[in-house]
Amino acid sequence: MTITKAFLYRLLAPLLLFSFAMPLAAGTLADTWSKFDRAMAKFNPIGEHVRKPIERRFPNLRFKGFLRQWSDVLTDEDGTVGFRDQDFRFLQLQNLLELESGYHFAPGLDFNVVSHFLYDGVYDWQKSDGLFADDIDRTAEVYHDSERILREAYLSYRIPGVDLKIGKQQIAWGKMDGQFIDTVNAMDRRESVQLETEDYEWRRLPTWMASSTFYFGRNSLQVLYIFDFEHDRQALPGSPWASPLVPPPSAITDVVLDVDRPSAGRFADHEYGLRFDRAQGALTYGFVYLYAWDKNPVDHVIGTQLSAGRTVLRVRPKHERLHHFGITADYGTTFTDVPYVNVLPTVFRVEALYTNGVRFADFGKRAAALAGANLDGTSKRDTLRAAVAAEFGLPARTTFIVQGSLFYTFDWKNTLGPGFGGGIGDEWTVIPVANVSRPFAFTRDRLSMEFTVFPVVSGPSADWQGIKSKLRFKYKFSQFVTGQLIYNGYDSGDDTGLYGQYEEWDNFGWELSYEF
Amino acid sequence: MSSELRRETTNARRRVGLALVALLCGGSMIADANAEQIWKTVAQMSAEDKALFDPATSTPRDSEFPYMPAERYPFEAPYTVEEMGYRAANFPHVARWQGAMLDVFGAITSSGYINQGETIFYMMLEPGVGYEGYLYATKPGDVYGRWMAYDIFPPENEGTQQLWATRRTDREFRTKMDFFVYSPQLRRVRRQPEPRRDQRFADNAQTFDDVIGRDPWEFEWELLGTDVLYETIRFPTTRPTITLNRHSQGFVERATDSLKPMGDDYPHYLADGGVACWVVKATARDDWLPGYSEKTLILWLEKTTFYPLRREKYDKDGALMTVEVRLAEHERPELGTFGYTAFSTVYWNIPNDLISYSFHNPMHVREWTEEQKAMIFTAEFMRRDWLIEPMKGQVLISDPDEYFLRPHLHPEKFPGERNVAVPAQVEARVRAQNEAGHLVFETAGAPGNATGE
Repeated sequence: MTITKAFLYRLLAPLLLFSFAMPLAAGTLADTWSKFDRAMAKFNPIGEHVRKPIERRFPNLRFKGFLRQWSDVLTDEDGTVGFRDQDFRFLQLQNLLELESGYHFAPGLDFNVVSHFLYDGVYDWQKSDGLFADDIDRTAEVYHDSERILREAYLSYRIPGVDLKIGKQQIAWGKMDGQFIDTVNAMDRRESVQLETEDYEWRRLPTWMASSTFYFGRNSLQVLYIFDFEHDRQALPGSPWASPLVPPPSAITDVVLDVDRPSAGRFADHEYGLRFDRAQGALTYGFVYLYAWDKNPVDHVIGTQLSAGRTVLRVRPKHERLHHFGITADYGTTFTDVPYVNVLPTVFRVEALYTNGVRFADFGKRAAALAGANLDGTSKRDTLRAAVAAEFGLPARTTFIVQGSLFYTFDWKNTLGPGFGGGIGDEWTVIPVANVSRPFAFTRDRLSMEFTVFPVVSGPSADWQGIKSKLRFKYKFSQFVTGQLIYNGYDSGDDTGLYGQYEEWDNFGWELSYEF
Repeated sequence: MSSELRRETTNARRRVGLALVALLCGGSMIADANAEQIWKTVAQMSAEDKALFDPATSTPRDSEFPYMPAERYPFEAPYTVEEMGYRAANFPHVARWQGAMLDVFGAITSSGYINQGETIFYMMLEPGVGYEGYLYATKPGDVYGRWMAYDIFPPENEGTQQLWATRRTDREFRTKMDFFVYSPQLRRVRRQPEPRRDQRFADNAQTFDDVIGRDPWEFEWELLGTDVLYETIRFPTTRPTITLNRHSQGFVERATDSLKPMGDDYPHYLADGGVACWVVKATARDDWLPGYSEKTLILWLEKTTFYPLRREKYDKDGALMTVEVRLAEHERPELGTFGYTAFSTVYWNIPNDLISYSFHNPMHVREWTEEQKAMIFTAEFMRRDWLIEPMKGQVLISDPDEYFLRPHLHPEKFPGERNVAVPAQVEARVRAQNEAGHLVFETAGAPGNATGE
C-alpha cells in the first residue's frame, strides 16, 4: 500500500483533534472520557503487583522500570535513493523494557543494575530487501547478549566529601542540548540524524570504569579512570538510517582489515578524565579534560595489493588518542520592563570542546598512496565544537530556546574526510537551533507541543546542508502512561548535505510509554 | 409599613437569599443561613476588634527600607492593615525555617484525570535568616534560603531533583531565585529560567509566588472586615480517614472530619468551632508588579496569628481566578503564634476547574550541620543522586473519587468587594459535589467546560 503525505495528514488530523477535543466534548462523550480518565488513574499493574510486593519484601531493594513502544513510519516509499533501496515504510518498531534495581547495603553503599530488553520489529514486520542489518549484527534487531542487556552495573560508595562508583556506567558531561563536552561514553547512533539529546540516556553505551568525585566548598572535582573501551555504533548498512551516500560493502574495492581497537587488557590503552565545577551565585562554570580514544576509527593505509588485476589499498581502521579540553558555563537572570512580557526569566549557556590531534582520512594522501607514495592516507588536525544558547521563560508556560552551534576544523583542506568535532564535510558548520515548547491550558496541560528547527550551514564549500524540523505533541493519559506523536521533516540542501541526503526520510512517529 | 414588619420582610428576603446561596454552595452554609451575619465590615466590627485595628493608611517609613513601615516587625497592636499583611507574609506555603519534609501534591481535572507527586524537600536558611532576617538583615539580591527537592513519585519523575536558591528582592533586584534541575533522563544539572511569578505551574493550580510567598511591600493593603471560618479544606465523604506520618508516633489513622483549620492545639477556637479572622484585601502595585496577573488578593487571616487560612485571587478584570484554603499545623510550639505552618493546602483554579492539593507530611524541623549545608545545598550535589534522608507518607490519593472537594465560595460575604461568579458548568459541578459529598465527574448530559486561561 502506498501511504501518501496527504493520507497521513488525513489520518493524523482527526486523531489529534480527537485527543484534544475529547475532554471538552459535551454529554455522553465527556462521560465516557471521564470513565477512561478515572480508570487510567488507577492503571499501574506492574507497579501494584510487582514493584510494591518486591519492595515490601525487600525493604533495601529499589525496583522500577518502564515499557516503551516507539514507531516511526516514512511518509513516502521512494525506491532507489542514492545507494539505498528504500522499499520499506517503518523506520523503527522498537519495544524497550528497562528494569532498574538498586540494593542499599549500608549508609552510602549501594549496588545498582539497569537492564535493557529491546526488540525492533522493522526487520520482521515488513517485507523489504533494503533492510538487512540484522544479518550483519543481530543487535540491530534484538539485544541478545549480556553486553547490551546488562546496561549498567556499578557499586557506589558515598561519604560527604567523596563519591566513588566502580562498574559499568554512563557519564554525561555538559549542560547543552546536543553533544559538546559530553564525550565520555560512546553512543549507539542507529538513528543517525534523528538521534537527539533526549535519546542519549537509552543510546549511550555504558563503559566499565571507576569514577570518583571530590566535593570541597562550592567546588567539585571528578576523576575518571576508564579501563574498558566502547566505540560508537553507526547506522549499519541495511539499517533504516544507513546513509544513502555510503556504497554497499560489495562496492568497496579496498581491502579493509579488522579494526585495531584499544584493549582493556593493555594498561597503556586506558583512558582518563578530569572535570572541575564551581557555582558562584548566578554563574556556574566548569572545565573538563579527557585523554581518550576517538570513538570512531579512521582508515590507515598500510600498503597496496593487486586485486582482480588492479592495485587497491590495504587499510586498517584504527582509533586515535585525543586530548579533549572543554569549558561549560551558565548564567541566570530576569530581565525587567520587557515589552509585552514585563519580566523575562532567562538563562544563558555556553560550552566548548577543543580537541587536539584528531585523525582525518585524507583522500589526497590516499590517492598518493595508491600511486606508490609511502603515506598512511590520513592527516591530523585540531577541532573545535562549541555552542551558545539562551533559554527564555515566556508567558503561558512557554519556553523558547535559541542555540547556535559551531563545528570547526583548524587548518582544513578539501581532501579531508569526516573527523571528530570538525566541520561537517567542510571547514566550518553552523547549526542555529530554535526550539519552542508549551503545554495547552485547554487540555489542563495534559497536551504539550514542541517545535524545533535545525538548519545547517557550512563553508567554504558545501554551503547549505538542509534543514530538519521536528514537531511533537505529548499527551499524558495518566501519571504512569504518556503518548507522543512526532513528525520529523528533512528538507532542501544538497544530496550530499547532512540533512539533504535524508530528504526522502520524512517520517511520522508515535510513542507509548508506561513507567512503573 | 412598620419598622418591625420592614425588619421581618428584610429578614425573610435575607433568609430566602441565603437559602438559595446555601443550595448553591453546600450544606455547611445552611447553618450560616439561620444565623446572624457572621462577617462584618469595618464599620460593623466589634469594639474589641476595632481596638486592635489602626486605620492609619500613611505611617512613618523605615529609614533604610523606605518601602517598609518604620515600626519594626512583628509590630504591636493596634495593627495597621499593612502590618497585618507583613505578619501574614511570615506564612508562605513552605515554612520559613530549616528542616525536611515530604510534599505530597496533586491535581485533578473535572474529568477525573489525576496527576500526583511526592517530593522530599530539604530546607536550609542562611545563618540568622528567619522572617525578620529576611526583612531587615538580608541585602536585596542576596540568597536567603536554599531548598533541595528530590522526587520519589511518580515513576517518570523518580530521581528528578531541583535546587531553589531564593533571593531577597526589591525594585532593583528582581531575580527571585537561582533555579537548577537535575534530570535522570538527561543526567545533567541545568540552570533553568526562574518560573514566572504569577503563572501557575504546568499540571497544577499553584503559582511560583504561592509557594515562595509574596513580599508585602508589593501590595496596597485594605481591611475589609472580620469573618469566622468553619471549614477550609473539604474532605469527601468517600475518604473518612487519612493515614498521617506523625513524628514519633509513626503512621496514625485520623478521621478526616477531625482535622481542624488551625490544628489540634489552637486555643482560640470559638464555641461553635469557628476561627475568627481578619479579612484583608491586597492589590498589586503597578510600580512594583507591572502586569502582574493576580491583581487582587483577598485573605482571611486568623485573628491572633495572622495566619492566612484562605486566599482568593482575582484577575485584572475582577474575575475570581483561584481559591486557596489551608489546614495549619502548630509545628513549632516554642515559637508561639509564629510556629504555625501549612500542613495541607488546596488550590482551586476556576478558569480551568483544576483542583490542586499539597500535603506536608511528615515534616521535621532540623538544624543542618555546616558539613551538610556545604554538601547538600549545591547544584552539583544533585549529580550524586543521593537521597540523604528518605521519608515516607501515605496521603497519596488512590482513586479520583477520594479527591478533595472544591472549596466553599461564600458568595454572601463582602459582596461589594468580591465577585465569586463562576462559569455555569463549574457552578453545576459545585452543586453536584455538594449534593454528593464528593467530586462528581460525569455530567449526565450537561455540556462540558471548554474554558482555559
